[in-house]
Amino acid sequence: MSEFFLHNLWLVPVYGIIGAFLTLPWSVGLIRRTGPRPAAYINLFMTFIGFVHGTWAFTNLWHSPPQQLSLEWLHVADLQLSLVIEISPVNLGAMELVTAICLLAQVFALGYMEKDWSIARFYGLMGLFEAALSGLAISDSLLLSYGLLEILTFSTYLLVGFWYAQPLVVTAARDAFLTKRVGDILLLMGIVTLSSYGTGLTFSELEAWAANPPLTPWECSLLGLALIAGPVGKCAQFPLNLWLDEAMEGPNPAGIIRNTVVVSAGAFVLLKMEPVYTITPVTSDALIIIGTITAVGASLVALAQIDIKRALSHSTSAYMGLVFIAVGLDQIDIALLLLLTHAIAKAVLFMSIGGIILNTHGQNITEMGGLWSRMPATTTAFIVGSAGLVCLFPFGTFWTMRRWVNGFWETPIWLLVLLVGVNFFTSINLTRLFRLVFLGKPQQKTRRSPEVIWLMAFPMVTGTILTLLVPLLLQRWQLLLTWSPGNDFLARTLIVTLAMPMLITAGALGVVVGLLIPLSRSMSRPTQFYLRFIQDLLAYDFYIDRAYNFTVVLMVSQLSKVMAWIDRYVVDGFVNLTGFATLFGGSALKYNVSGQSQFYILTIVIGIGLALGWFMFTGQWTTIFEFWSKQLA
Amino acid sequence: MLSALIWLPLIGALIIAVIPPAENSQTPRNIALVSSFCVFGWGLWIAINYDVAIAGLQFAEHIPWVEWLGLNYDIAIDGLSLPLMVLNGLLTLVAIWISSKEIHRPRFYFALFLLLQASVNGAFLAQDVLLFFLFYEIEIIPLYFLIAIWGGKRRGYAAIKFLLYTAVSGILLLASFLGLTFLSGANTFAYTALQNTSLPMASQLLLLAGIVVGFGIKIPFLPFHTWLPDAHVEASTPVSVILAGVLLKLGTYGLLRFGLGLFPEAWSVVAPWLAIWAAISALYGASCAIAQTDMKKVVAYSSIAHMAFILLAAAAATPISLAAAEIQMISHGLISGLLFLLVGIVYKKTGSRDVNYLRGLLNPERGLPITGALMILGVMASAGLPGMAGFVAEFLIFRGSFIAYPIPTLLCLVGTGLTAVYFLLMINKVFFGRLTPELAAMDPVNWGDQFPAVVLVILLFIFGLQPQWMIRWSEADTAALITPTAQVELSLNSLQ
Repeated sequence: MSEFFLHNLWLVPVYGIIGAFLTLPWSVGLIRRTGPRPAAYINLFMTFIGFVHGTWAFTNLWHSPPQQLSLEWLHVADLQLSLVIEISPVNLGAMELVTAICLLAQVFALGYMEKDWSIARFYGLMGLFEAALSGLAISDSLLLSYGLLEILTFSTYLLVGFWYAQPLVVTAARDAFLTKRVGDILLLMGIVTLSSYGTGLTFSELEAWAANPPLTPWECSLLGLALIAGPVGKCAQFPLNLWLDEAMEGPNPAGIIRNTVVVSAGAFVLLKMEPVYTITPVTSDALIIIGTITAVGASLVALAQIDIKRALSHSTSAYMGLVFIAVGLDQIDIALLLLLTHAIAKAVLFMSIGGIILNTHGQNITEMGGLWSRMPATTTAFIVGSAGLVCLFPFGTFWTMRRWVNGFWETPIWLLVLLVGVNFFTSINLTRLFRLVFLGKPQQKTRRSPEVIWLMAFPMVTGTILTLLVPLLLQRWQLLLTWSPGNDFLARTLIVTLAMPMLITAGALGVVVGLLIPLSRSMSRPTQFYLRFIQDLLAYDFYIDRAYNFTVVLMVSQLSKVMAWIDRYVVDGFVNLTGFATLFGGSALKYNVSGQSQFYILTIVIGIGLALGWFMFTGQWTTIFEFWSKQLA
Repeated sequence: MLSALIWLPLIGALIIAVIPPAENSQTPRNIALVSSFCVFGWGLWIAINYDVAIAGLQFAEHIPWVEWLGLNYDIAIDGLSLPLMVLNGLLTLVAIWISSKEIHRPRFYFALFLLLQASVNGAFLAQDVLLFFLFYEIEIIPLYFLIAIWGGKRRGYAAIKFLLYTAVSGILLLASFLGLTFLSGANTFAYTALQNTSLPMASQLLLLAGIVVGFGIKIPFLPFHTWLPDAHVEASTPVSVILAGVLLKLGTYGLLRFGLGLFPEAWSVVAPWLAIWAAISALYGASCAIAQTDMKKVVAYSSIAHMAFILLAAAAATPISLAAAEIQMISHGLISGLLFLLVGIVYKKTGSRDVNYLRGLLNPERGLPITGALMILGVMASAGLPGMAGFVAEFLIFRGSFIAYPIPTLLCLVGTGLTAVYFLLMINKVFFGRLTPELAAMDPVNWGDQFPAVVLVILLFIFGLQPQWMIRWSEADTAALITPTAQVELSLNSLQ
């Protein structure tokens, strides 16, 4: 029985697709009598089956070696492309996380989307999302992963654009798709290159190939950069980070998945391709630089947001930045741990704010306050989620950080500074949010806000409990290494002993700062120019979107206009001119046919005169002269 | 057997022509439907009986015709023409299906459509270059009338433009075909005989230039493309479907068969330039598409960009890229047919194709939600979303061409990226947003109009998930295209 579940593991993504497919009769309006709810139930059921299947396989797999299932997809000439999945504990664990969070989010959506008229379409898209995500978790071929990433891009587009009648949604959906598409196309370039240089596209084949690549270092660097572009877009890293922030216009249940497992899926592909990055230092350096910029920038930007979802989505970018750094430092285990702990904590946070948004009909934190007594479960979820996100004993991130800095891995000083900084700013941000939303006096919008209905409370509380259980999970999976010293003396003494206290202190300090900074509820802006400048700079994401508007977007739109103009007036204009000249010439020439013999003789004389003139000019006169003299002689 | 593909539609056209005219009669449409259905079915039957294991011509038919000239009725089918013949059958059926029931002068209209189908099938099947030329020229006539009579406001201009361009294309082809026969001293126009001729490189290049430019007008490539947007904008929806779906493929088919197939040595000389030309044409088409405001023009320029990928693949001429070129023809045929069909529905319901006027058409109650959903899928297929046929074709083209021409391939990849840009801009403007009051009085689309689009989308998914079903027909023959001379030498060696 367990063999059956293991060998048919490819069914898990298929469940999602079947679920999505079965919603069609409701979403296209073939079935109207029942209302759209049955579509949601079908999808929930399929997700549940997927979860159970995965769990069964996971529990039975634990000590068996990884195995691969392969399906030949296409062969042309000497090219063979297979779709391969790998059944290994890590992959199955990732798939469990995906299906679990999808299940929670889908139950949550039953409550959140209760009054929406197109809930069937929503669940169809969620099913597609889930299928692509769980497929990515077990995929072992770059081609399959690429395909699934693109399907994720597509379903993100449709989910962000779910309420397509709103103007902000229209741009958000477009930007989400195009930003990710930039990354995906670069990734595709990388895949085409890799495949052309004679490697198969499964991750194990890539690893073998990367040990001895037939390329110059320069080409390897370019290849590596192309390959990380896809995850950069997917994980909302600088410079492709803005879509995640804009995507917050979409429905919240999709946001739960997007901020947890979707971004993680990009990172998951990233760390599976890790052997290729190690060929040249350029790629790992790029990963570290991108991760650092994003981690610092996004942590700061989050501080100035007044939209509750955006404040949290920037923090997602920041944590993914840490994952990038971990991959860049070749510390895959840390990256995985970060993904796991971040995903669970973020899911709870997003479920908590989902309830707030639904019940207060707003996302603006300056209009909220005093919710703690009205929504106790939501408040608890927010606190626990925050605790899981920052470095606080004994929650998930604490153990992840402890493992990172315990000296087993090489930890440079700058990384420690960065971690302290991110932890500090995240603490400030979460405390700030907590104060504005839950503490203080109730405002107009929050005064009558009730606790969420059970359909939303159930997954939220489940998530809260799960966050509390993360340390136990980590312990059970033996992911918490015992302390073992590194090689570097400095690392052992300074970093290992000081790191954890520093991190915790930074967190605590952040909370204190967050509690002390003056927070005005009305949209006050500092009067001093510099403070105001900094606030605006952060609130508008360092003006990156405007920078894009004035560079890439402007360039493409102007270039296309110029091209279209050339096409219309130069290329086509030349054609039309030729046509016109022919017509004009024809109608002008027709006046020659006048019937007057004098005119014809004149024409002939002019013609002969021109011909003779030409011969004289080109010096062929002698030839003609000699010819006629011979003839006459 | 194959002749039926040419003569069946002709008989259908004849019957339509001789039945007495009647007011509001559906008889011509029904006859055309039955006829095109039979041709499509017959095409499938031939496909089933076609032996994919053998490279080379099958079902050959030979009827002597003008023997002193070397022109014979030689038709046969191979892996290169078989999928295109079936595509022609399918899209003609679709085009006739979506033709309006209230169309004026129905007998003439449907007879022309069947004539078009017959001549295109003839061109795909002809194994005599002069016979190919005849069919290629005949095909212009019905299409000219279809644009000139049932077109939009500037239909006269567009139709004449199409006629002149294609006529020039035909003259260049004829010159090259005649030149090849006369220069090589072959007393025949039979394709297989011409394949084995050898000419000095200079004459080869000259003849190849005629063929490349001739077909380049038909496909079309920059700078010979300006007839296409005009023709599409003025043509009615069914004509656009056929024009983009099938007729452009006549050009790429000719390029592979008569360009690469007849002049392999000269081809390898000019191939680097062709690859650069392909990249420029692709980027040019894509950037022009971004700036268009007419939905049909967006799709038309996108065709130019996507057909350029075929030139890239043909230039690279690796086994993978040529197989990919063939499936790109099929997938582009299905995708562009689908997109024009859907634009046609939008136009029919709203009376406009202006992306700045249309808005919010996804509205479930008073908009065109299903059309919009199908449009999103079609656009994604065109942008190369994995799981649909477009991805397979484009991925294989890039994979096959990269080794030969890395830089043009990467540029074409950028072109693929731009596909998403212009199509998404179009979708977002037309289908997203709030439905404007002027547009709110649309009748719902009946299922009959959308049915062909659903079928095309399903086909795109099937071929995208199971690409082998597309590749299997032509792989052997595209591989044989690469070095026929080398293979001949090889077989000669083995004989000795």
